[in-house]
Amino acid sequence: MHKSIKEQLESIFKSVKVTVPEDTRIIVNIKKAHVLAVLRFLKDRRFDHLALISCVDWIEEKEFELVFILTGYMHCDEEDKGQERVHLIVKTRIPRHEPRFETVTEIFSNAEPYEREIYELFGIKFEGHKRLIPLFLERDYEIPPFRKDFDTRRYVKEVFGNIPSVENNK
Amino acid sequence: MDRNQITKWFKEPAKMANKYSLHAIYFCTGCGIIEVPPVITARWDAERFGVIPVATPRQANLFLITGYVSVKTLKAIIRTYEQMYEPKYTVGFGSCPINGGMYWDSYNTIKHLDKYIPIDGWIAGCMPRPEAIFIAVTHLWTLIDKGMANAYVRYRENYEFYRRNQEMALGKLEWPPLYPIQNNVRVVENA
Repeated sequence: MHKSIKEQLESIFKSVKVTVPEDTRIIVNIKKAHVLAVLRFLKDRRFDHLALISCVDWIEEKEFELVFILTGYMHCDEEDKGQERVHLIVKTRIPRHEPRFETVTEIFSNAEPYEREIYELFGIKFEGHKRLIPLFLERDYEIPPFRKDFDTRRYVKEVFGNIPSVENNK
Repeated sequence: MDRNQITKWFKEPAKMANKYSLHAIYFCTGCGIIEVPPVITARWDAERFGVIPVATPRQANLFLITGYVSVKTLKAIIRTYEQMYEPKYTVGFGSCPINGGMYWDSYNTIKHLDKYIPIDGWIAGCMPRPEAIFIAVTHLWTLIDKGMANAYVRYRENYEFYRRNQEMALGKLEWPPLYPIQNNVRVVENA
């Protein structure tokens, strides 16, 4: 099954690089222009469950890496019964100075909270997302707090360290 | 009932009743709440000490803050605390409300809870064992006996300072002040 997916991906998409580090892992590195097409292709091949969207800040390479983890329920079917679940990891890089990406909510509608989370923690704008508002955070941050150039210690010192204790006020 | 305490019951019945019926509000922050179900159920049975959990802040007089406090939770904590009737007692549980604990350099965790609401006592540790809750309760009894569990009085007296600190952490608060504020304190807007 891995081989057929790998061969199909490599024959259809030219820029794709597929590695299989384990029996149950397939890693697909691809340029950002083809991500939506690859996701659509994989959804039709029964990788129809988006488990997670994650983001990595490669500050030295000046790039963000978006990671889409897909899986499916093939191992529950009759023909593939007894096999372990396969996780398919789609990775793509976007430049750091232009943190923008297309939304995948039209393919996987459960991507909505993941994209909102990445938007508030990494500041990546997902174009076409219908409700791109912060998910958890209430304060305003100059730099989104999960970026590597966000200095947490300085921020904590400035914001929480400057609040005086009540005993000192008397 | 301890017979030695019978004079106390005649002298200050309200205080004694308060002391032996600490009703703890169900309010879970962080991971410390995992120690509370064994405490209130049959294994350790907090009702031996008069501690039972109640559903609303109007019925409660003990506020256990169990674990780290994020900025969003602080808002809920203040609102809950202000709804409780006096006398009310607060206990910080675990090391995170004391000084941030392992979240001391987190961008979204409140470091010193006693800057925002008054605290009667702390239970140190990460995690404290359930027994520590009972030790805290007996300490709280002693404090109530001596009249030293006066955090709610401190809150009333220093309300403008607490309110100013709350606004520094949370920005403009949506609710009106609980007590009237004198104008000698500079209120920071949009901190």
